[in-house]
Amino acid sequence: MTSASQTAPQRGGVGEAASIEGLHISLQRDGVRSNVLRGVNLTIGRGEIVGLVGESGSGKSVLALALLGLLPSAAAPEITGAIRVAGVDIVHGSAEELRTVRRDELGVIFQDPMTSLNPTMRVGRQVTESTHDHAEAIRLMSAVGIADPELRFRVFPHELSGGLRQRIMAAIAVAGRPSLIIADEPTTALDVTVQAQVLDLLRELRDEFDCSVVLITHDLAVAGQIADRIAVLYAGRIAELGSVSDILHRPNHPYTVGLLRSRLSLETPRDRELLTLRPETGSPGERMTGCAYHTRCPLAIDRCAVEQPPLEQGGIPAADAHLRACWRSINDVQNLAHHSQGDSVVTPRTRNEAAAPAVRVEGLHTRFVLKSGGRKRREVHALRGVDLTVQAGEAVSIVGESGSGKSTLLRVIAGLTPATSGSVALAEGGAQMVFQDAGSSLTPWLSIGELLRERLLPLRLGDAENRKRIDKALVSIGLPLSVAGVRPADLSGGQRQRVALARATMIPPAVLLCDEPTSALDASLAASVLNLIREMRQELTMTVLFVTHDLSVARLMGDRIVVMTQGEIVEAGPVNEVIEHPSHPYTQSLLASVPDIGVLA
Amino acid sequence: MTASTNIAARRLGLPTSALRLHAGNRLSFAIVLLLGLVTVVALLARVIAPYDPIQSVGGLNLPPGSPDHLLGTDAIGRDLLSRTLWGIQVSWFASLLIVATGLVIGGVIGTLAGVFGGWLDNLLMRFTDLFLALPGTLVAIAIVAALGYSLQNTLIGIAVVWWPFYARIIRGEVRSIAARPHVEAARLAGISRPRIVLRHILPGVVPTAIVTASLDIGNVVLLLAGLSFLGLGQSAPAPELGADTARSLQQLLSQWWVPLTPGIAVLLLSLIANLGGDAIRTLMNSKR
Amino acid sequence: MTRFVVRRLASAVVLLLVLTAIIFLLQAVSPGDPVKAFLGNNASPAAVAAERQALGLNDPLPVQYLQFLTNLLHGDLGMSFRSHRSVTSDLAAFLPATIELVTVSFVFALILGTIFAVSGALRWRGSAFYRGPLLVLATAPPFLLALGGIVIFYAQLSWLPASGQGADTTGPTGFLLIDSIVTGDPGTWGVAWQHLILPGVVLAIAPAIAIGRILRSSLESTLQADFVRTAESKGLKGHVVIARHVIRNSIGPALSMAGLQLGFMFAGVVVVEQIFSWPGIGNYLANSIPVSDFPAIAGVTLVLGTIYIIVNAIVDVLQTLADPRLSA
Repeated sequence: MTSASQTAPQRGGVGEAASIEGLHISLQRDGVRSNVLRGVNLTIGRGEIVGLVGESGSGKSVLALALLGLLPSAAAPEITGAIRVAGVDIVHGSAEELRTVRRDELGVIFQDPMTSLNPTMRVGRQVTESTHDHAEAIRLMSAVGIADPELRFRVFPHELSGGLRQRIMAAIAVAGRPSLIIADEPTTALDVTVQAQVLDLLRELRDEFDCSVVLITHDLAVAGQIADRIAVLYAGRIAELGSVSDILHRPNHPYTVGLLRSRLSLETPRDRELLTLRPETGSPGERMTGCAYHTRCPLAIDRCAVEQPPLEQGGIPAADAHLRACWRSINDVQNLAHHSQGDSVVTPRTRNEAAAPAVRVEGLHTRFVLKSGGRKRREVHALRGVDLTVQAGEAVSIVGESGSGKSTLLRVIAGLTPATSGSVALAEGGAQMVFQDAGSSLTPWLSIGELLRERLLPLRLGDAENRKRIDKALVSIGLPLSVAGVRPADLSGGQRQRVALARATMIPPAVLLCDEPTSALDASLAASVLNLIREMRQELTMTVLFVTHDLSVARLMGDRIVVMTQGEIVEAGPVNEVIEHPSHPYTQSLLASVPDIGVLA
Repeated sequence: MTASTNIAARRLGLPTSALRLHAGNRLSFAIVLLLGLVTVVALLARVIAPYDPIQSVGGLNLPPGSPDHLLGTDAIGRDLLSRTLWGIQVSWFASLLIVATGLVIGGVIGTLAGVFGGWLDNLLMRFTDLFLALPGTLVAIAIVAALGYSLQNTLIGIAVVWWPFYARIIRGEVRSIAARPHVEAARLAGISRPRIVLRHILPGVVPTAIVTASLDIGNVVLLLAGLSFLGLGQSAPAPELGADTARSLQQLLSQWWVPLTPGIAVLLLSLIANLGGDAIRTLMNSKR
Repeated sequence: MTRFVVRRLASAVVLLLVLTAIIFLLQAVSPGDPVKAFLGNNASPAAVAAERQALGLNDPLPVQYLQFLTNLLHGDLGMSFRSHRSVTSDLAAFLPATIELVTVSFVFALILGTIFAVSGALRWRGSAFYRGPLLVLATAPPFLLALGGIVIFYAQLSWLPASGQGADTTGPTGFLLIDSIVTGDPGTWGVAWQHLILPGVVLAIAPAIAIGRILRSSLESTLQADFVRTAESKGLKGHVVIARHVIRNSIGPALSMAGLQLGFMFAGVVVVEQIFSWPGIGNYLANSIPVSDFPAIAGVTLVLGTIYIIVNAIVDVLQTLADPRLSA
């Protein structure tokens, strides 16, 4: 009863907005049935914000749909256990009862507001569908922070920015005064600065409309910003449940500790290897006995593999309890939490000022015509006079939000997008690039071996030497040699990104361009790929240009940080200077919106 | 069989798993075999056919099920089974020919436009769109009418209006694959342009091309039969499915089997072609 | 929006020019001789030569093409070899019946296709018994459907007539359904409908499936769209979700397919009209083919082709109206 009682003293004991008891759900996909939720107990108190945190595949989104009674019938859901929302049995209720509950008691905000709003209906009408009243719709639209609601009432979703669209979703969610709002990754598709606003909005809505919120996210820090309690979900079970300060500062489950330690922040030590979770090898959802986490757990003992640790003694947990499902003692887990330094030390490279710069960009302008919807043409001035010099051996991070031109800059340097004016000069060796989505950057019908061999063709080394080089490259990225025979689809996302890196670096380029190489990966996998890039840089004396939207990643990957917005560089300087003394207001607002969990205990 | 399909898949650059048989894919595979069966029947028509299709060989207007004439005979005593088999041969191979021509011409134009882009793409696609926007069947009729009625001219007429569809689809597919990151990655990896086209783009187009073409065979079968019914095709004694129906129309209410038998053959061809196209699509989509 | 309409109309005009050029070139290479058709086969060589000169047949091709266009604009499509009348007046006499048949048939196609799509997408119980046979029928050649229909519904059951329109029209519009109402003749109106059903349905089946398949797949993908989930989470009634959120976002592809099919129907009508002795221009074309009456064939191709091009242009414009994302 710590932070929940502090922020909302009257909440918690008054009753509950929803309760979940012994919930098991299995879904069928491509003819294969899998257990997505495996015994979840949770209550959501009146006026409470509960953060539901888990990696992809943890079952968090299925839980959201189950609460709404909207599990896709195509997935043939099998449900046991109970879900009650405002006293109504969601599992066994009739379609009409569920509809009434959704109308009167539930509001929802989905991840991507672009696809979650009807593209052919004016947004005002989409709000009115829930309010049944024009004046109320206008009132709600201004309540969620939409300026000129009368004007915006008549526009279509595609005419609004991402942040405004999500506000429209919020207005729809609170229409009808729901007792519970379910927000499924409401900030993931948004830029960082907008993320913070949407999170604030959620808390304001809770305060103003006195409803409860289930906030589903993959990021502990996002949940930590506004939630009262957090439930950490792993492979369809709750691993740990407690108040925000308990979870973030006194984690009692090895998985929570692992998540917190592998999370990158502005405090992560720059000179050490990033901590990672052990990779998942099988599908934990299928392991019915034992703790689902035991294959990755650094504290696993024999018992963990055979006996499933309970979250509590049974029944619905009390509102203020700090519960965990683990056989190891709290002391052991807390020791793990304090042993939070990476082992090997990364020595930053000294750059070679004497040599010619690896990249020199001068007065770069890029315009192109965007065709959207087939007929509409819009000219985009993506780069507006960019100057950038990268010394040989230097690593530079480029930070910006979507539309800032950061990826375009990378593509122009790579020669994939033509410049409208200005010049790009590269040192000998040219540029290689690692793309955001490694899966799509590897030709799907060629084997990994063929993809790597092709890169060596211009060198005319002969078969034996080629094979040697390929083996060496695979070893350097920590993959078994047998990977040469498989196709990209047979690898995991992290493995594919490693292969992409090997291909880019097997003939060392003058500069390695990285375009958000980890943003599609779960946090722990991302950290291991970042480690690999830093390792390679050290070994190969490589120049790196690293594009990211995440300041904490930029801080770790660069010697210098360059901040871009609207096609221009607004700030550039050594990492510490930019992070600690940002001079441009845009950099300041970026820094202010990085979600953070504060100093670990 | 599995080994040979794997080899075929490798030659097409497809993942071998594309043709791995799931339980649910057995039916699809059986239907694809049916396509092969039709081809074999069409190929061997003159061997299988019990009689000469042009000579009078039995009683007049014998009904189906007659002892020596399984499908009966027509008004001048020709064996309907033999005529139908010969007609199937003409129809089936003519349809395959047109689809193949469309695929080749459209494939070359579409690939050129898609790979080179720029003014060449513009030029080729303007031209293609022009043809696409014209009423193909009517233009084909006008072409045959101007050139004179014969099977060869009918094939020319249809071929002229048939390729743009393929050019569009293949160009679109080439463009979409060429825009994928793996092609950009290949470009950056310093791989030569011809090699990128052959190894990184075209293998990705093959499944779409195969599915499109196989789904299209049925359309061509119907179109050919329709034109043949109107008299744009082989001249009188030669067996041809649409024309045979047209020539015996006046028997519809007295000896219905004479005009309907060739029509039913067209239905079967088109049905098998459509089912086969769907089955091929199912098999291609079930990879992964 | 306006710009798009103007551009679309301009491209339709270009298409019409290309169509006329193709017809003109085909006419130039076609074996029939328009002069002999005009003067009769027994005309003296001198008269033929004079007429050739008068008709401009000795001019260079571009000049002839301009002349051809000018004639077209004046409604002159040449003389039919077969009827020895002007093709234009033949077409004017036959066109209304064709438009009437295709329009009615198109409505049939929309109804059949929509039922096909909706019953499939919403998984209506027992709808497979509707969709299965329709799918098979759609793979049949239209002439087989027509003949089968005649054998069953005319010869065996005697439910429906199998030939012609049932009556001639003398009314103002040339459309039997409309004229019979204008002239206050409900009997003829009913007879006209009876005669429309068989050819109308036969002509409708293939387009119905083409439209129905597209509509079904776009309905199914829209039903899984995020915004439909949003609408459901608002607690809207099922039919409200479908009416407001699903339909409008699904009809785009179906609309353009419907336009395409309407165009195809004007070509497919030829066989059907011939079998049902429908007094339309399809039948006129079918009867012109055996006698190689090229001016008539060219005239029908031009008229039906023009309709096809205009229909497609209209559909494109309608589509931009349906989807606000498409209009700038």
